[in-house]
Amino acid sequence: MVSVHRYIRSIYRVGFRAWWRQLNYIGDAKSGRLVGADQFGNRYYENYNAEEEVPGRQRWVDLAQHHYHASQVPPEWHSWISHIRKDPPNEDAVMVASRRPWQQPWTENLTGTQGAYKPYNTVAPKIDAWEPKSAPRA
Amino acid sequence: MSLPRGFLVPVGVFRSVASTHARAFPLSRRLQSSHSHARPHSTPNYLESADGLISDLSVRKHRHAPTPHKFDAQGNEVDAYKGGPSAIDKAVHLFFFTEIIRGMWIVLEQFFRPPYTIMYPFEKGPLSPRFRGEHALRRYPSGEERCIACKLCEAICPAQAITIESETRIDGSRKTTKYDIDMTKCIYCGFCQEACPVDAIVETQNQEFSTETREELLYNKEKLLANGDRAEAEIAANLYSDHVYR
Repeated sequence: MVSVHRYIRSIYRVGFRAWWRQLNYIGDAKSGRLVGADQFGNRYYENYNAEEEVPGRQRWVDLAQHHYHASQVPPEWHSWISHIRKDPPNEDAVMVASRRPWQQPWTENLTGTQGAYKPYNTVAPKIDAWEPKSAPRA
Repeated sequence: MSLPRGFLVPVGVFRSVASTHARAFPLSRRLQSSHSHARPHSTPNYLESADGLISDLSVRKHRHAPTPHKFDAQGNEVDAYKGGPSAIDKAVHLFFFTEIIRGMWIVLEQFFRPPYTIMYPFEKGPLSPRFRGEHALRRYPSGEERCIACKLCEAICPAQAITIESETRIDGSRKTTKYDIDMTKCIYCGFCQEACPVDAIVETQNQEFSTETREELLYNKEKLLANGDRAEAEIAANLYSDHVYR
């Protein structure tokens, strides 16, 4: 019954309000270290205590939006939460050095909304439609 | 004390009787008997066909062929089934459903263990820096687009999902005017990023680009460049972490 201990201990650590929020979104009582937050207000946590979290559940995100979606995580934090990189992006020297001034802000997957991508042709059409032009009779 | 011993003796007696008479009633006789060995000692087999196959009738004829006995170096007969479970042991396990109870006990153990389920949008499974997801076109650190329209990715694409058209720009450099990837055709093999000489086309770690309509998956150059502009830090960090192996 380790999981019951862990559940009650997590409620004791995070408090009742945070537990209620976790129950509505993650669906489990989790407690850990707050690693950071991204530009959208998503908060990222980790807990590497092997007696509390099984492998694969050691890093998690508290998504800011009510209508949450996996693509709301920006790519820098995506590589952290997917265990691609060890350190969070603001402490990772390689990730900081890889940022470019011309980088565009991240947008979530906008399919099904007004901002969804619509394909279009980037070159001029190769076939022109016939334009009926008749010379006037003399 | 004497009652269980007296109860157990017949079992041992049966077991010893069964083991001593095991050679007399060999159960594996039909599997181990060989017609080619028995044939020289018997009369010519007229039921055998010309192609060497033997009919069932000839098998009946050679039923009483001697079973080969196995002996060790000292000349003692070797019983391969000695020390194994007796028929009563097997019957006990069969009639009391012991295997089913053992399986249900394992299920009961798993019920009290913490689950391994990953709560997906909030927790994600581990990915490799070589993971091949959504495509992106990259830029140089100066902001100039990398693609030189060599069309190697178009040539190597096994699904023929890439379409490229190119023009010469005013400054004399060759750039693409059309770089379309049909993501419904793409098989995410990663050949395009391996073929690219300038690391322009890459597959990012983004796998959450599912769409509601099919046409949204017909990516053009602007969409691919926008993907690269948004995820450049992650792409560059992954390429750096893998550069010693490339």
